[in-house]
Amino acid sequence: MGTQIKDVVIKDDAPNALILDKHADYIAAYGSKKDDYEYTVSEYLRMSGIYWGLTVMDLMSQLPRMNCEEITEFIKSCQHECGGISASIGHDPHLLYTLSAVQILSLYDNVQALDVDKVVEYIKALQQEDGSFAGDKWGEIDTRFSFCAVATLALLGKLDAIDVDKAVEFVLSCMNFDGGFGCRPGSESHAGQIYCCTGFLSLTGQLHRLNADLLGWWLCERQLPSGGLNGRPEKLPDVCYSWWVLASLKIIGRIHWIDKAKLRAFILACQDEETGGFADRPGDMVDPFHTLFGVAGLSLLGEEQVKPVNPVLCMPQDVLRRIGLEPELLS
Amino acid sequence: MHGRLKIKSTAQQEEEKRKEREKKLKLYVTARDVCFSQRKEGVLDEEALQLTQQLLSSNPDFSTLWNYRREILMHLETVREEDDVQKIYESELSFVERCLRQNPKSYGSWHHRGWVSARLPRPDWVRELSLCDRCLSLDERNFHCWDYRRVVVRMSGVAVDQELRFTDRLIGSNFSNYSSWHYRSTLLPLLHLESPEPLSPTPQLAKTSPRTNSHRVCEEQLLKEYELVQNAFFTDPNDQSAWFYYRWLLGRAEREEMISCVYVSREEERVAVCFSKPVH
Repeated sequence: MGTQIKDVVIKDDAPNALILDKHADYIAAYGSKKDDYEYTVSEYLRMSGIYWGLTVMDLMSQLPRMNCEEITEFIKSCQHECGGISASIGHDPHLLYTLSAVQILSLYDNVQALDVDKVVEYIKALQQEDGSFAGDKWGEIDTRFSFCAVATLALLGKLDAIDVDKAVEFVLSCMNFDGGFGCRPGSESHAGQIYCCTGFLSLTGQLHRLNADLLGWWLCERQLPSGGLNGRPEKLPDVCYSWWVLASLKIIGRIHWIDKAKLRAFILACQDEETGGFADRPGDMVDPFHTLFGVAGLSLLGEEQVKPVNPVLCMPQDVLRRIGLEPELLS
Repeated sequence: MHGRLKIKSTAQQEEEKRKEREKKLKLYVTARDVCFSQRKEGVLDEEALQLTQQLLSSNPDFSTLWNYRREILMHLETVREEDDVQKIYESELSFVERCLRQNPKSYGSWHHRGWVSARLPRPDWVRELSLCDRCLSLDERNFHCWDYRRVVVRMSGVAVDQELRFTDRLIGSNFSNYSSWHYRSTLLPLLHLESPEPLSPTPQLAKTSPRTNSHRVCEEQLLKEYELVQNAFFTDPNDQSAWFYYRWLLGRAEREEMISCVYVSREEERVAVCFSKPVH
């Protein structure tokens, strides 16, 4: 009797050194895989895929290897009449891809490539009476979208376009017994949602509304014997939680509550020495999503070969400094 | 993207896999292109529904296609009789259920189901609750399903203690029950509300947002809850959910009305008394 702890075991021959060059090669080649099945069926999130690839390249100081002009034209052709931006051509606009697009253009210091006023109008129209945000005109409500809205507006310097107080009240109404946050009021706490809500509260200057000790405890309990982090109790570790959990801890000033050495070892073990890139856990298939969050996680842990990353926006600090955006962090 | 093991295989196996994927890719691209061009031309009929079905069953995160389906359904609402519309939406629910069986964690599928249920001329909330029961019996931690359950319960006015008994059953089956304890934490304060907020006469879940985690719980219910959670971690000390819940429970007691502190100042000839809660 007694529950087995769900976890992975890191093999002795797992990678233990950071092979940045291989990751840069992996990402640089990823975009040219237009006849690849996986690549094509993930078209519904292409804009986010580009954001993941470009951001990790910039963190590795390899952004020039990507095709700025082609990407900028692509983004322009994804802005719809309503102002919102879609994941790819022919797809419908959504807050998720509107944020990704603005993040990409911020890396390139070229947000003017878009009709910024229309983007702001699109976001404003998605705020509901209770302060929440729908993802698009079809009405799905989720705290992820509250984050997308304020992050996009903050990057554009237009946070005042929405009712910030009401938006804050809605996010706080999603706070649970354990100090964490879920998708909607009453939803179970989840590291991804917690990242969105702490990021949201940082951007709106409301971090003091959190119970940082309580949430910090829940977050540091995500660390498993293998050193990896899971997203909520009794789930397997996953390298992307090295971001969602770690960034949240950094925002609330409790990143030292994690065993950094063990986490670093786990992240490094998720590398694929053959193909480059990171997988969700050691031995699995790699993808750009986990590659970004593995590298970003290492950056938060102080990896010198990688540029400092901003924990709220998951973008290089130097980009945000240039924009003049410095969201608050608890100490 | 998650949980996909990298398997090494021979050159021949690789070649076979490559051919298969090339075939799959061609089918996908053709179907997608037809859907997009039909939508552009304003096609809003059952045939278009069929086309998107193919793609959505294996790609339920392709949200633009759910959007297209909704456009078609909304159009059919305007040109068909109510009985027909009911049938169309019922078969839509069966389709979504098939999608959910294949991929129970797609935001797109769950959102679409909620959208359909809200538009049905005659919704069957009992059927929806039973779907949630079945889904949760397969994966008690599926938060999409829990969220949908909360909608169903709210729309159909299920009583708080019926849902509490549901969590009792799940917690009783002994493992992976963080989601149930979490649900309890939102239900308890509703049942024994101590706040001055106006309540409907029967404690039902017909509210918009349960911002009730800050509310106190009455002593009788609290002691029952202590027993419940202590049983849990005495049975299995590694059951971490119980410990998180216990910590929360310890802060739930009603505050006794008492004096927190007294300040006496001879010089100012004053006594100040601070109470633990507002005195009526």
